[in-house]
Amino acid sequence: MKLYEFQGKALFREAGIPVPKGAVVTASDKEGLFAPSAVKAQVLSGGRGKAGGVVLTDTLEDATKAADSILSMELKGEPVKALLVEEKAIIRAEYYLAVTFDGESRTPLFMASAAGGMDIESVAEHSPEKILKLPVDPLWGLTDYKIRAMADFLGYEDRREFDGFVRKVWKLFREKDAVLVEINPLVVTDKGLLALDAKVEIDDDAKPRRKQLFEAMLSEQRTLAGAAAEADRGTITYVPLDGSVGLISDGAGTGMLTLDLIRDMGGDAADFCEMGGLTSPEVMYDAMKQVFADKPGIKSLLVVLIGGFNRMDEMAEGIVRYLGEHPVSVPLVVRLCGTMEEEGKAIMKEAGLPVYDDLRTAVADAVRFAAGGE
Amino acid sequence: MAVLVDRSTRVIVQGITGKSGILQTKSLLDYGTSVVAGVTPGKGGAVVEGVPVFDSVADAMKGVAPNAAISFVPPMFAKDAAIEAMEAGIKLLVLTMEGIPKHDVLDILSYARGRGVRVLGPGTAGVISPGKCKLGAHPARMFMEGKVGVVSKSGALSYEVGKTLTDAGIGQSTVVALGGGPIWGTNQREVVELFNADPETEIIVVLGEIGGATEIAAAEFIAEHVRKPVVSLIVGRAAPEGKSLGHAGAIIRGNKGTAASKMEALEKAGARLATSPAQVVEIIRKLG
Repeated sequence: MKLYEFQGKALFREAGIPVPKGAVVTASDKEGLFAPSAVKAQVLSGGRGKAGGVVLTDTLEDATKAADSILSMELKGEPVKALLVEEKAIIRAEYYLAVTFDGESRTPLFMASAAGGMDIESVAEHSPEKILKLPVDPLWGLTDYKIRAMADFLGYEDRREFDGFVRKVWKLFREKDAVLVEINPLVVTDKGLLALDAKVEIDDDAKPRRKQLFEAMLSEQRTLAGAAAEADRGTITYVPLDGSVGLISDGAGTGMLTLDLIRDMGGDAADFCEMGGLTSPEVMYDAMKQVFADKPGIKSLLVVLIGGFNRMDEMAEGIVRYLGEHPVSVPLVVRLCGTMEEEGKAIMKEAGLPVYDDLRTAVADAVRFAAGGE
Repeated sequence: MAVLVDRSTRVIVQGITGKSGILQTKSLLDYGTSVVAGVTPGKGGAVVEGVPVFDSVADAMKGVAPNAAISFVPPMFAKDAAIEAMEAGIKLLVLTMEGIPKHDVLDILSYARGRGVRVLGPGTAGVISPGKCKLGAHPARMFMEGKVGVVSKSGALSYEVGKTLTDAGIGQSTVVALGGGPIWGTNQREVVELFNADPETEIIVVLGEIGGATEIAAAEFIAEHVRKPVVSLIVGRAAPEGKSLGHAGAIIRGNKGTAASKMEALEKAGARLATSPAQVVEIIRKLG
């Protein structure tokens, strides 16, 4: 779950990481506006500075004007519903500091750069030597020599302050189950280090043990973004597309393969709907409901099932139950094989539904039906 | 030979008394996998499909000498169970569950590195060496013994390709699924390395998808070290940008992580590119 800057900064403040004084302002509550200030759009996407989502102001009149203007903006399709108004900082240097992990590192990775305030991906592409990457063993924790290496790389002199700052970032990363803590820029002021921005993402898989944190963050996001805040669809991934062949799969890999094959065979998928590798009749039912609700105009529905952990009898049960309750007029192409496939095929047969075994034949038929073929 | 699992693999099932644990234990036994014990805290003394159940891995280790574990333990308890298995001396750990908190995964992998334990997953369908041992969810009829080594992130895609190969009469040495990510105990490069060293594997099939860059690392290894023929299928060519497609890591950001960028790297490394499972078969047939 991605957090707004003001939410990340609330976590920073709680963790003792220095942030500028500030207030959240919305269209209906501009009480907190002040000047001189930095007025910053609160959006989950990046690159707001370049798009005019951050304005520095000197007078309250300027601040009000900036607030009205930014609150009417859409940044990368995301309407701005809130602003963070902060004290301006006198900046002596701008750093980049982040901790995250990826499929290559497989261990937490600190990244530090003296080229802060810029698009870090472009720094990584054009001058990778300007970024220090330090893997940290999660069981050993952050060692002194790595913190020293970061301070050396950045050229920051107050070692004690830097040590304390980085340790707090690490502690937050671990204790809040964050998958990303990014400070860009981390600025040097006369009073020391200050986190001018905060990009924090917390791990959805940790929700069961961080209930309070998730509930607090989600309720703030709902208040701001309304229905746009992420809906919880359980294990279903649903992505609407533009074509006419509805698609449901029980594996991400086969789902993507089928998407490719549909296009290769001259068709266009209406959606990507994937149920996860360990699912149930209810999820199968919900997936069909989702696709038909969102894409009533589809010309055929292709269901691609290949069960390992998934049981084909359960998938067939979900399909048959859905069709029993919601008569469907478009052709249905179901490819079903794998664990308990005999039982699954028997359930489909009893309901008078044909079953495919070969994926290419199934895709070819679904594409042909969508084009009006018999 | 084959890699990771073979006839000498002796398995304990962690979380054996749950719904998945019971169903999968039966499927492993049906295949002929040597399942020597199961573990569920508090259920010691029970028997599942003829397999004795113990309260702890340490108890299960006595007398039966297992060397691999497959875990169906619920995500919030998965870390504890994994550390328990590794501390008891298990050297291959298959983590099937999705949804393990990522910091727990990082801890498990750190502990595994320190002890020289191979971890597959989390969120993996596991591994099968057809005719020898199945340590995962692979449907038996889709695989047959042979000389093609297959590595895939996605379990379902590994079944799909296994099925297409088997239907065409082409057998496999070992088929490995790595899991949906974004972090894995074992990645493509490491499995390619195992296949490269395995005398029984003559052809290597690398199945990949959009997102991340682990296929690129595999391509670098292939370019430098692999002389066996490599066939690669990368799915997600038709994927829209910026949308996560089911696997946490399966997302295209700008021009990063596209199928095209991975196909290019693999082709440069000498791999032959396929765009469908059927084409994987065609290419392998041409290799003779």
